[in-house]
Amino acid sequence: MKCLELADVSYRYEGSTEYVLKNISAAFDSGKVYTVVGESGAGKSTLLSLISGLDVCKEGDVYYDGKNLRELDRDDYRAKCVGVIFQGYNLLINSTAVYNITLSMNISESEIMGRRAKKEAAFALLNKVGIDRETADRKILYLSGGEQQRVGIARALSHNPDVIIADEPTGNLDAETESEVLKILTRLAHEDGKCVIIVTHSENVTAIADEIIGIHAGNLIAGEKYRENSAFHGENGHERTKTIRENEQ
Amino acid sequence: MKNKNFYVIENALLNLGKNKGRNFLQGVMIFAVITTTVIALSIHNTSVAIIGEYKTRFGSEVNIVPETLADNLPDITAEQALLYSQSEYLRDAQVDEVKIGSGAIKLVYYLKSPESLDAFRTEVQDKGLPAGYIVDIDKAGYDRMVMPMEGLKDISLTFLLIVLALGCAIMILLSIISVRERKYEIGVLRAMGMKKQKLAMGLWVEILIITSVCFILSLIAGGLLSQSISDALLAGLMNTATEPVDISVSPQTVLQIFGVAMLFASVAGIISVSKITKYEPIKILMERN
Ligand SMILES: Nc1ncnc2c1ncn2[C@@H]1O[C@H](COP(=O)(O)OP(=O)(O)OP(=O)(O)O)[C@@H](O)[C@H]1O
Ligand SMILES: [Mg+2]
Repeated sequence: MKCLELADVSYRYEGSTEYVLKNISAAFDSGKVYTVVGESGAGKSTLLSLISGLDVCKEGDVYYDGKNLRELDRDDYRAKCVGVIFQGYNLLINSTAVYNITLSMNISESEIMGRRAKKEAAFALLNKVGIDRETADRKILYLSGGEQQRVGIARALSHNPDVIIADEPTGNLDAETESEVLKILTRLAHEDGKCVIIVTHSENVTAIADEIIGIHAGNLIAGEKYRENSAFHGENGHERTKTIRENEQ
Repeated sequence: MKNKNFYVIENALLNLGKNKGRNFLQGVMIFAVITTTVIALSIHNTSVAIIGEYKTRFGSEVNIVPETLADNLPDITAEQALLYSQSEYLRDAQVDEVKIGSGAIKLVYYLKSPESLDAFRTEVQDKGLPAGYIVDIDKAGYDRMVMPMEGLKDISLTFLLIVLALGCAIMILLSIISVRERKYEIGVLRAMGMKKQKLAMGLWVEILIITSVCFILSLIAGGLLSQSISDALLAGLMNTATEPVDISVSPQTVLQIFGVAMLFASVAGIISVSKITKYEPIKILMERN
């Protein structure tokens, strides 16, 4: 089922004449894991900020569930429909991990009622990404990069959104936690029917993707071109793309 | 159903505890501004009240005195003096006689209200007041008492206006700094989908609480300070020694100051809202990353 759609999207930053994204069209289905790959500065994070409703494309449209984002309340869209795991975490550093989660639940007007219930749900969620209660009660300021990243992941899941968007979600994690997080993300797509979009440089992440999207200098690279250009994916990714292509044929 | 906005207030309360240093500084500034306002206002209000009182007191005291201290003026007899006192314009049928040198006397009557001076004068003249006498209030006494108070009133009013303008300027500055300092936090909350008006409400609640605390402290401090300041001001204004004026923080003053405090909080709120409206979450977050 189509969940998100980009229709001829172009974007350039305010005050800049050069387009960072050029005529991108793509569709994202529920229940699948997508990875977005490409060299640094290719426009991956920019693409995510358009999908997550943090920014509006200059030309073209983004559709969520058939509705044009331009016509939706983007605050509500961010609060309820998408969960974003940011490259730079973007947590409230002076608040505890668990407070970051419960606040997100409150903003999204979560169905979980009552303070205690929300807090328990937050602890459970944090526990799922490997944060114990003692750590969860500490301020973000006093957490390691990897721990902060996991809190960011928990926050993105806290309001049970249809779309989960992640910018380098495993960049600061050790191999074990990485596979744990990837398992969670895959399960969210395959079992809970979420649409999971992950920007990554990691082979381990592309390995779990149902589909891979390549971006090169603001252009969407798919098919032959993507497969042939080994500059923006490694051997693994190459193999993976091949498999997808073969399956499609 | 529980109020869906309650978390905004809860978050504001938590923020107050988290940023003690900044809040304390902000509190000190607001405290200083409100305290000066308390002082200016209470001095102003007291002088207005005293002027009013003096106006009635001196304005209702009517003197009948010889125009000049000439010997050839006919005397006012005791019967006549008593006759004048039988007037509906007077508070009571009382007449005081005061010697004003060289055998002349001054008759003093007390009007019900200063407005009936002219009517009383006509009445007395109709009753046969000899020519050469004037019927008037004690101008000199009035001026001696009321003029310094008028001066005090004007000074305190000017001072009050300056303090208010300065206070608003300080509040605007504080809010701008505060919002800028908290840009990242605001960006994160906005990225999480918090609406601008809720964010603004949170910031406003914070400033409201700080202002309320300052308001109470300022009332105490201002009440203590305004007496000595007014004493010093009066001493400078009055050439002759006068009895000290009792400056007090009346309920009316408290209400006015509360209004001023709310004005400051609202100014801060409006500034915060207009600032937040300008920020897009993506821009704020990118600046940091
Ligand atoms: N605020 C901005 N103003 C102007 N140009 C910007 C701005 N932010 C990013 N860019 C430019 O847009 C391009 C795409 O940036 P983007 O952050 O999307 O890259 P990316 O693919 O996520 O890179 P990375 O893998 O390093 O995270 C880059 O060339 C970058 O310099
Ligand atoms: Mg990026």
